[in-house]
Amino acid sequence: MKPAPFAYARPADWPAALALLGSGARPVAGGQSIGPMLNLRMAQPGLVADLRHLPEFGGIAVQGGTCRIGAGTTHAAIEDGAVPGRLGAILAGVARRIAYRPVRNRGTIGGSLAHADPAADWVAVLPAFPGHAVALGPAGERRIPLAGFVTGIFETALRPEEVLRAIELPLLPPETRWGHWKFCRKPGEFSKATACLLAIPGQAPRAVLAALDGPPLPIPDATALLAAPEAEADRLLATLPGLEPWRAALARTALRRAAGMAAAGMPTA
Amino acid sequence: MSPEAIGEGVGASLRRKEDARFLLGRGRYVGDIRAAGMLEVAFLRSPVAHARLLGVQKAEGAESRVFTAADLAGVGTIRAPSALPGFRVSEQPVLATGKLRHVGEPIAACLAPSRAAAEDLAAACILDYEALPVVADMLTARAPGAPLVHEHWPDNAFLETFRDEDLSELDSIAAAKVTRRLRTARQCMVPMEGRGVLAEWDPRLEQLIVTTSTQQPHVIRTGLSEVLGLDEGQIRVVAPDVGGGFGYKGILSPEEVVCCHLAMRLGRPVRWIEDRLEHLSANANCREHHYTVTAWADAGGRLLGVDVDATVDSGAYSLYPFSACLESAQVGSIFPGPYTLPRFRCRTVSACTNKPPILPYRGVARTGVCYALETTLDALARQLGITPAAIRLANLVPPEAMPYRNLVGKVFDSGDYPQALRRALAAIDHDRIAARRAAGECIGFGLAVFCEQGAHGTSVYHGWGIPFVPGYEQATARFTPDGVLEIRTGLQSHGQGMETTFAQVAHEVLGLPTARVRVVHGDTALTPYSTGTWGSRAAVMGGGAVAEACRLLGERALAIGASLLQAEPGAVELSGGAVRRRDGGAAVTLEEIARTWYRRPQNLPRGVDTGGLEVTGGYRPDPDTGTHSYACHAVTLRIDTETGEVVLEDYLIVEDGGVLLNPMIVDGQVLGGLAQGIGTALYEEMPFDEAGQPLAGTLADYLIPGTAELPEVRIDHMETPSPWTRFGQKGLGESGAIGPPAAIVNAINDALAPFGAEVLDLPASPARVLAALEAARAR
Amino acid sequence: MTRLPIRLTVNGEPAEVLAEPRTHLADLLRGELLLTGTHIGCEHGVCGACTVELDGAPARSCITHAGACDGATIRTIEGFGEDAVMAALREAFSAEHALQCGYCTPGMLVAARDIVLRLPGADEARVREELSGNLCRCTGYRGIVRAVMRVLEERRGR
Repeated sequence: MKPAPFAYARPADWPAALALLGSGARPVAGGQSIGPMLNLRMAQPGLVADLRHLPEFGGIAVQGGTCRIGAGTTHAAIEDGAVPGRLGAILAGVARRIAYRPVRNRGTIGGSLAHADPAADWVAVLPAFPGHAVALGPAGERRIPLAGFVTGIFETALRPEEVLRAIELPLLPPETRWGHWKFCRKPGEFSKATACLLAIPGQAPRAVLAALDGPPLPIPDATALLAAPEAEADRLLATLPGLEPWRAALARTALRRAAGMAAAGMPTA
Repeated sequence: MSPEAIGEGVGASLRRKEDARFLLGRGRYVGDIRAAGMLEVAFLRSPVAHARLLGVQKAEGAESRVFTAADLAGVGTIRAPSALPGFRVSEQPVLATGKLRHVGEPIAACLAPSRAAAEDLAAACILDYEALPVVADMLTARAPGAPLVHEHWPDNAFLETFRDEDLSELDSIAAAKVTRRLRTARQCMVPMEGRGVLAEWDPRLEQLIVTTSTQQPHVIRTGLSEVLGLDEGQIRVVAPDVGGGFGYKGILSPEEVVCCHLAMRLGRPVRWIEDRLEHLSANANCREHHYTVTAWADAGGRLLGVDVDATVDSGAYSLYPFSACLESAQVGSIFPGPYTLPRFRCRTVSACTNKPPILPYRGVARTGVCYALETTLDALARQLGITPAAIRLANLVPPEAMPYRNLVGKVFDSGDYPQALRRALAAIDHDRIAARRAAGECIGFGLAVFCEQGAHGTSVYHGWGIPFVPGYEQATARFTPDGVLEIRTGLQSHGQGMETTFAQVAHEVLGLPTARVRVVHGDTALTPYSTGTWGSRAAVMGGGAVAEACRLLGERALAIGASLLQAEPGAVELSGGAVRRRDGGAAVTLEEIARTWYRRPQNLPRGVDTGGLEVTGGYRPDPDTGTHSYACHAVTLRIDTETGEVVLEDYLIVEDGGVLLNPMIVDGQVLGGLAQGIGTALYEEMPFDEAGQPLAGTLADYLIPGTAELPEVRIDHMETPSPWTRFGQKGLGESGAIGPPAAIVNAINDALAPFGAEVLDLPASPARVLAALEAARAR
Repeated sequence: MTRLPIRLTVNGEPAEVLAEPRTHLADLLRGELLLTGTHIGCEHGVCGACTVELDGAPARSCITHAGACDGATIRTIEGFGEDAVMAALREAFSAEHALQCGYCTPGMLVAARDIVLRLPGADEARVREELSGNLCRCTGYRGIVRAVMRVLEERRGR
C-alpha cells in the first residue's frame, strides 16, 4: 500500500500556491484525508502542493462580529479552544469527535471541508452556520455561503484555480442553542448519519442533515424541526427516497435528537 | 497460596520477561529485518472472483522482475488433504494457473528494491482474463447448475459429514420444539502485524533461511520442503517476534513459497510484507457458517434431541496444514456442547466458493457452534416459559459424571459446569435489571455456557489425517557453562508470554530464579520439532514438556551434585536451585554443577551421564483426548431501539481453566479473546457482493473493537485441576472468543423479546437489530 | 523517481535522508533511519501502530509523506529514554499486563503519554475515548486502560 509516484512542492507564498494549482497540482493541507487515499492509490496526483507553510494559513482572527478561521487551523487547535466564545465552544465539541487526536493534530478544518467527504464532520456541520468559505483565486478572494459550499460527493463550489483560504463565521451570543448528533459505532469512525441544529437568537434556526453518502442537506429554516422534531424528521426523510431502511432510521433519529438537544438548550457536546 | 509461597513458580502472576524489549520498541518483527541486496515483492492479484486467466502482460521494460506461474518451474502446488472419507483436496497454485478462483489470488510476483517500486510494477502489468460466473454464497454453491470452482469436481463441496439418528418420534413426545436458521459472518482475523516473510539462500550452508511471521515454524518447514522439493535440512524456518496470530499465521502461504523460490533462483534475499489491504481483501478469512438447528425438549427443559444442518463457507482452497475440513467436521464433533444430549443428528458441508479460503480462527468452529446451540436453547426456554438458566441447569453435565464421555465420544476431563453457571447468576443484580426494564429501558441479560477442548492429542488428530498430527511435545533443557538454564521449545510465542510461563515451570521443577532461565523458541534450527502454537495447547503440551525436560536435567544435575557433596544420590535433593544434603548439610548450586560439567570436568564423578547437562524430554498427557476448560459468560446490555445500537454494560466470565500457570497471563488471554468475541458478536463482517468482491478494504470499514467498545469485565476463576495434565492446567487460549456472540445475542434477544423481535445473524449490527424490530412490527 | 533531500530532527539528532516524496514517514523512519520501533499496522491512519511525536504532538506517521516532513522534529519510541512520563508508563504497562505481542505497544505508548500530559484530570471513560485511535488485537485493552489510569493517578497524587 504505497502511493504511486508524485512530485512535491512547498509554495512559500499564496501567488506561488495559486500558480501550482494552475498547473494542476493537488493542494494538500494536513493530508489526513488524502494520505490514506494516496497509500491506497485511490488518488494519484502527479504533483502535490503542500499548503502548510503558507503565511497565515492557520490562525484565528476576530474582526467585528466575525471570526476568520484560517483554512490550515487544525482540528486539535479548535478542540483546544482556539476559537473564542460560544462559537468556539460549539466548534470545540465538534472537533473533539473528529477521528482521533493524532489525526486532529495534523488535519485541518479547511482541508477537510475542501475534501468534501460526505461523512466528514465539518462538511456535515458548517452548512448550518451563516458564514462563508473564503476562496482565494487569481482574482483575489471570494466568499461562498457555507450552506452551498459542498455541492456533491468530494465536490465543492471551489473553482479549479482556487484554494480555500479561510472560513468566516459569526461570533455567537451565549444564548445560542446548538444540537449535534452523529451516529458512529466507534469513536472516530465515519458517521453514518449526522444532524445539527443551530438556533441563534433572533434568527430562524438552521439545520443540516448529512453523512448519507451524498452532499449535506442544509435546512435553512428549521423552525418546524425545532418545534415538532418527530413530524418534521419524518417529512424530511420522505424527501430522501432510496436510503437503506437502517440509514433512514438513523437519519430520522439524528434529526430528532439534534433538534431535541437544541430545544433543551444543551451545551455543545 | 500467598504470593510469597508461590514465589515465581506455577500460579504466580509473574510479570512478563518479554515486556522490556517491546516497551522500548526493540521487538524484532519480520518487517524490521533487512538483508543486503534485498528485493521487496508486491503481488499482482486477481481483481475478480472467478475467471479464466488468459495471460499476463508483464510491466514493460521490467519483464525480468515479474514472475508468473510459468516462470516457477519445479514448484509444486500446495495440497492440504484430509483422510476423512469423501474429502476432495484442492491444488492451490502458488501463483494462479489457468483459473482465478478468488479476489486477491496471487498471479505474479513483482520484485523491486522498494515495495513502492514493486507496486508500480504490479500496476503496470496487464491482465487478460475471461470472467466466469461466480459462486459467491455457500448456500447456493451446491444448487443444480451452479458454476464449479474446481471444474473436475462434481460439485462445490470439499467434504460432507453425516451423523444420522432417527429423531422422528421427538415431535410427538416433546413439550417444545424450535427451529432456527442462523448465520455467522465471514471475518478477518486482523493481527496487528500482517504476515511477512524474508527468504535468503545461504550458499555456505546450502540452506534456505526463511524468516517468517508464523505460529508453526516446524510445520512450515515441512510444507516448504514438499512444495519446493528440498530436504527439510536445507530449510531453516525462523519466526522472530510475531505480532499476533490467532490462527492467521497457522498456514503455509503461497507468498512464502514464492519468496523462497525467488530467493534461491535469484541468489538475493526476497521479502514480502503483507499490508492491511491484502489482509482484508485478498488473504484468508474465517468463521462463515450457516446453521439450521432444530431442538426438542421436555416440559422441564431436558433436551430430547438436536438436529443440525451446518454449512461452512470454506472458500476456494484447502489451506495447509489445517485443510478445508477442520471447521465443518468440528461442528459435528462439538455441537452437543457441555450438555448431556441424548440424541443428535448432524449434517455438515464444507462449501467451496469463489472467496478467499478460510483458516481456523481463535475458537475455530466452537464460536459458531456455541452461538447456534446457545441461541437455540434460549429460544426453547422462551417457548417453554422457563429461564435460560433453568434450561441449562437441566442439561449441563453434572460434576459427579466426570470424566464424562458424551454421545459423540468427546471426553470431558473435570469440572463443575453447573457451578460455573450458578456463580455467574449469583454475581448478577437481577433485581436491578428487572427494575430498569420496568422503568422502560430496553435491557437484556444473556448467558452462554460452553467448554473448550484444548491440547488435542494424537488420538484426536490422527483421524483427521491432515498434513500433521501432534504427538509427543518435546522441549530441550540445558545449562550454559555459567549455570543459566536454556529452554528450547518448538512452539512459538506471539503474545502468549511463554518466555515467562515456561521459565515459571522450570523454576517450579528446578528452583532456580526465573531471571536465570532463557526460553528459546520459534526457530527450527534451535528447537525440537513441534506442531506449533495452535488449539490452546502450549500451556498443557509445552508446560508438560518443559517440566519433563527439566526433571530429566535435574536428575543429571543431582548425580553430579551428589558426587561434589560426596554423598550418595539418595542422600541429596534438588531444591531452591541447588543440590542439598537431605540432612541439612552442605549444598552445591546448579551454577556450580554447570561449571563443573563444562569447565572443571576433572571434578566429575566416574560413570557420569555423558549426555551432560542438556536433555530433551517429551510429553503427552494420558489420555491425550485433550483438556476441557469451560466457562459461563453473562452479559447485561441495553439497546437503543431507535438506532439499533447495543451497549454492553456488564460482562462477567466464570472461567475454569484448571490450574493457572500465570493468572495474569491467563486473564490477558481471556480478555483478549473476549474483545475478539465482541467483534464477532457486534462489529466484524467482511461482506462480499454477488460478484465475490470483498467490500471492506480498510479498518474504517472492517471494524474491530477499540478501547471504547469494551465493557467492564469481571473474571471469576474456578480452578478444577485436569486429572491428566502435568500441573492440572488446561488450555484456555480461545475461550474468551467463544462465548461472546452467544451470550450477547441471547441478551439482545432477551431485550427484544417484549417487541417480539429476534436477531439471528452475526454480527448483531445496528442494521440487523433495526431490521429485526421492523420485521416484528410488520408481523 | 526523483529523491528529495529531507532534513529532520529525529530523537534530538539532526538527520538528512534522500527520499521519494511518496515515501511515508513510517517507512522513512524504519527504512532509512532504522528506527523500527515505529510499526506499520494499516497505512490508512486508523490503527495507531505508527503513532510518533511529530513537531511536539502525536501524529500518524503512515499518512504523512516525506515531503511534508522536511524540517520536522520527530520523536519515536526510541527517543523517550530520558522521559519520566514514558518511564512511568512503561512500568505501568508491564505491571498491568498491557501488552502481549507488542506490535501496537510503541504507538500506544506515544498516544498514552500525550493523554497523561494533555488531560491530567482524565477519568477512565475519557481515557478510553482518547485511546480509541490505537487498536490492539491481543489484550482486550483492560491492562492498557489501567496502566494509563495508574500513571494519571500517580501524578495526581503527587
